Amino acid sequence: MPKMTLSHFEVTLIFALLISVVLGVVTKRTDQERIRYGLKSFGYFVLTVFGLSWLMYLGHR
Amino acid sequence: MSKSKNEMAPVHPPLPPVGKWLPIVAASWLVPGAGHFMLKRTYRGALLAASVVLIFVIGLMMRGYLFEPMSGDLLTTIIYTGGFIGNMATGILYFMTKWFGYNQPDVAGHTVDYGTKFLVAAGLFNILAIVDAFEIATGRKE
Repeated sequence: MPKMTLSHFEVTLIFALLISVVLGVVTKRTDQERIRYGLKSFGYFVLTVFGLSWLMYLGHR
Repeated sequence: MSKSKNEMAPVHPPLPPVGKWLPIVAASWLVPGAGHFMLKRTYRGALLAASVVLIFVIGLMMRGYLFEPMSGDLLTTIIYTGGFIGNMATGILYFMTKWFGYNQPDVAGHTVDYGTKFLVAAGLFNILAIVDAFEIATGRKE
């Protein structure tokens, strides 16, 4: 199996995408709610990534 | 006025016989998404299977470590036993990986570390899928 090396950012984006799909599928009752929840969850993950990244950057200056 | 305890408790239909839901739960554990396929929730099963398989394969490609249960101090026991349970929850993916001789040591480095987390996360995703299949099979969810 080929070896894969990803940056921190790429890894978090892949994780956020996949967990959002799973959470969307298992938590809501209609397809529309699932899609909306999945997108919202992904957006929150990405926002958190940027927020924490800035926090760590400013904390290390 | 406050509601009584009985009024506030969620109403679940009675649990059907074990024979009705246990095969679905077992199939869901062994093959990610299989329980949903058995329950005719095809596209949801496909999405769950794809997510679990993808995150597991990416974990393998990043050469993640597969946990073995280990005892010692409390933290070591929790991490290694918890990680082992998480890995086992991927069912056939875990067994096939072991059968094909995958044996990555637990080395330092962010890529391997992310791989290890991805392999455990795949199991946790599958646990969510198993619970969902159980709820559909017992009539608690559509």
